[in-house]
Amino acid sequence: MLKRISKTSFINLRSICLSASHRQQQLEQENAPKKLREEVLLHPDYFKVHNLFTVKDLFDARVHFGHRDGSLDERMLPYIYGSRLGHIIFDLDKTAEYLRKALNVTAHIAYRDGVIIFFQRGAQNAYLVEKTAKECGEFAHTRFWRGGIFTNATKQFGCVTRLPDLCIFFNTLNNVLIQHTAVRDAAKMLIATIGIVDSNCNPNLITYPVPGNDDSPASMELYCKLFKAAIFRGKEKRKEHIEQNIYLV
Amino acid sequence: MILRQIMRVVHPLRPVTLQKNILAGINGSDSYSTEIKDSVPQEEPTKKNISKAMKAYLERAKEHEDFMQKQREEFQIGKRHLANMMGEDPETFTQDDIDHAIEYLFPSGLYEKKARPLMKPPEEVFPQRKAAEFDESGRPYHFLFYTGKPNYYQVLHDISHHLIELNKFEDSMIRKKIQPDPNLALDLSGYQWIDKESLEEKLVETIGDKDYEYFINCFVRLTAVPYAYKIKDFIFEYTEPLLNQVQTYDAVKPHIDSDGKQFITVYECPRKAARGDVTIRFPGTGKITINNQGITYFEDVQSREQLLFPLIFTDMLNKVDIECNVSGGGPSGQAGALRWGIAWGLRSFVDQDIIEKMRIAGLLTKDYRTRERKKPGQWGARRKFTWKKR
Repeated sequence: MLKRISKTSFINLRSICLSASHRQQQLEQENAPKKLREEVLLHPDYFKVHNLFTVKDLFDARVHFGHRDGSLDERMLPYIYGSRLGHIIFDLDKTAEYLRKALNVTAHIAYRDGVIIFFQRGAQNAYLVEKTAKECGEFAHTRFWRGGIFTNATKQFGCVTRLPDLCIFFNTLNNVLIQHTAVRDAAKMLIATIGIVDSNCNPNLITYPVPGNDDSPASMELYCKLFKAAIFRGKEKRKEHIEQNIYLV
Repeated sequence: MILRQIMRVVHPLRPVTLQKNILAGINGSDSYSTEIKDSVPQEEPTKKNISKAMKAYLERAKEHEDFMQKQREEFQIGKRHLANMMGEDPETFTQDDIDHAIEYLFPSGLYEKKARPLMKPPEEVFPQRKAAEFDESGRPYHFLFYTGKPNYYQVLHDISHHLIELNKFEDSMIRKKIQPDPNLALDLSGYQWIDKESLEEKLVETIGDKDYEYFINCFVRLTAVPYAYKIKDFIFEYTEPLLNQVQTYDAVKPHIDSDGKQFITVYECPRKAARGDVTIRFPGTGKITINNQGITYFEDVQSREQLLFPLIFTDMLNKVDIECNVSGGGPSGQAGALRWGIAWGLRSFVDQDIIEKMRIAGLLTKDYRTRERKKPGQWGARRKFTWKKR
């Protein structure tokens, strides 16, 4: 909560900065698009993804529940709060930080018309993820991963294919033991990844890991809602800027 | 490139350093903004960006179009040559004429029709190419494109969608204490799931055996839901009738002769080397005439039984008159030919159930077997000469 307060005071500061930059934009009309790009990229939270959720929302969606402590991956230690009745509990303040960072990146990629793909293994939540992807106008892969979709794309699809610009993993494990091969392949192809990492996952290959529960439907619905909202914010902004003729590729 | 730029996105978690950067930009000391200006190439906002994928596709499409154009021209020239060879007008030379000309000029005894020489428009000879699956920016159209089998997985997605909707509906009905109507229950008897080949054709994708099995299991699960009849259309899209090859030809309506009797004539009744034609008159007294003789035309009992079998089977004995002409072959072939002709003709005088019974009894099936020729170097068609090693 303390951190949140500091952030709101920061937002006030930023609005002052924004108005200052606004004045300067009026002075330099011809440089407007360039300035805008700088503003979008330099802004700490241009799409205001920080107000999409609160720590309370995370708690209500049971994001803090990890797996049993016997299955803990040591690389997840920095993100956990402790263990209760044999189960890992995540530090939701940290989760919120990382999730905001991930949502910000998502919104930026959507703003730049990047291709975003959702991953999820396991039948329980697959439909939800596919539905979310469809609603966002993005892509989903919730099935068995045939090796080489990223690393051998030209052969696999029979022609030169544009690969995704961002992979969002709603869980990074195929089953309880094996990591999803796409995590490795995305790292090989330098594709940025966002991954919900549970207490038994390895966050090292994920560009933007988000520690949290990766299998309960409640938390999965929350993640889907949040990422969908972030993508919509990015796309709306893009549309707006294209209409005003100030969007610059 | 997007990535590299996005990497510059400011982390919301490091407010202090960022503030500094923004302020620096505003004050015009500008070290940060000039750096961006250098690293990011400036592009005209009006310039249309075409992705590498689209560029490659357009190249391939153009290549293919050129090739097809060349083939089309060659086909036209060939067609004119052929018409001239056959002494006909090249302008009005149709595809049927081409087929006849090819058959005449290049007679082929090959059994497989595909292996025989042919001349067809290039559109029919070369397979259709898949259209681009992505737009100018390289963004695929289908949301499951990256699975590699978007259409197959789309069907699975639809199945789970329907399953969830039906379960919701069932819950609401249970809450209202309404039972599903047993009269409306989905009846799939007489239908089967489409086979793998037709599914592949339908989806325009190759799928594995396991995928097909999974597909069937999903549908079986879907049809087990009590309210499955609500999505009948979706389910029947992936079924086919079980008895699709059972197709009895409609019986011809009988003619009326000068005496006011109904009659039907079946020509060209085949069996072995025998050919015959059969006329059936109704009503009649059971008179049978074969080549102007009675049933005694056949000397053996078996042949006579053969002849009478369809009449006994349909209970039409002594109710119709039969006149036959038959030639060629021996008695059993002739009897078989007449048997088929009588059965075929009787369809016009009996009801649908009996026709179905006749079909099941095999009365309506032509027997195309004929004598196999003798081979040189052996005793008969198959039998070899007696041969002793020493």
